[in-house]
Amino acid sequence: MKRVIEHPVLGRLEDAKEVKISVDGKEMTAREGEMIAAALFANGKNVFRYTNKRHEPRGVYCGIGRCTDCVMIVNGVPNVRTCVTPVEAGMVIETQQGIGHWGEEGSGDRGGEDGTH
Amino acid sequence: MKMDEKKEMKNDKDRLICRCEEITLGEIEQAIDEGCTTLNEVKRRTRAGMGLCQSRTCSKQIARIIAQKTGKPLSEIMPVTSRPPARPVKIDVFRTGESNEESN
Repeated sequence: MKRVIEHPVLGRLEDAKEVKISVDGKEMTAREGEMIAAALFANGKNVFRYTNKRHEPRGVYCGIGRCTDCVMIVNGVPNVRTCVTPVEAGMVIETQQGIGHWGEEGSGDRGGEDGTH
Repeated sequence: MKMDEKKEMKNDKDRLICRCEEITLGEIEQAIDEGCTTLNEVKRRTRAGMGLCQSRTCSKQIARIIAQKTGKPLSEIMPVTSRPPARPVKIDVFRTGESNEESN
C-alpha cells in the first residue's frame, strides 16, 4: 500500500472504512470516499487507459477533473474521470481502451429506457 | 550536449499539444503554415481541442503557438467558441434535470 500516512501539511491520514473494488477483474482494497485514482495508485496501478490513436498508456495528468487523461470504465460507464469520482463499495473498474465502450451496467444510461443510473 | 539539443529539437515536433485527440506540435504548426490563424481554424483542421476535455488543456498552448508563428499579439488571438456545458455532464442531466453524481 502506497499512501502518505503523515502529511507535512494535511496531517495524519484519518481512519476510513475499507471497501473492496474490482479492477480489471482483480480485487483491490480502497478507502471509501477516496478518489478512484488515489485507490489505484495506492494499489500500485498507474496505467488507467490506452489512447485511441497511438495506443499509449495514460494515467493521472491534471488530477483535478479538467484534462480527462485519467478516464476509465466505471460500473460499465466509459470516460469516467477517476480523479474526481469517489470510491464506492463493489465498484467495477476497467482499464479503458481508446474511447471505451458501454458495459452491461452502463447500458441503462445509454438507452435511458428505465430512467435509472 | 550539442547532440542532445539537436535531438530534443527534432522530437519537439512529436510533442503532444492536444492530449485528448493526440495532436502534435508539428501538426499544429503545419496547419498554421497552411493558413490557419485562429484557434477555431486550427481546431477544425486538426481536431485539436475537440476531444473529451474540450480544449480546456490545450487551447492556451495553441494560442501561444499561433501568436509565435504569426507574430500576432497573444491578446488578439480569440478563444475557441465556447458552448455549454462549462463542465462535462451526462446527457441524462438534460433529460431528467438531475444528476446522481457530484458535479465536478
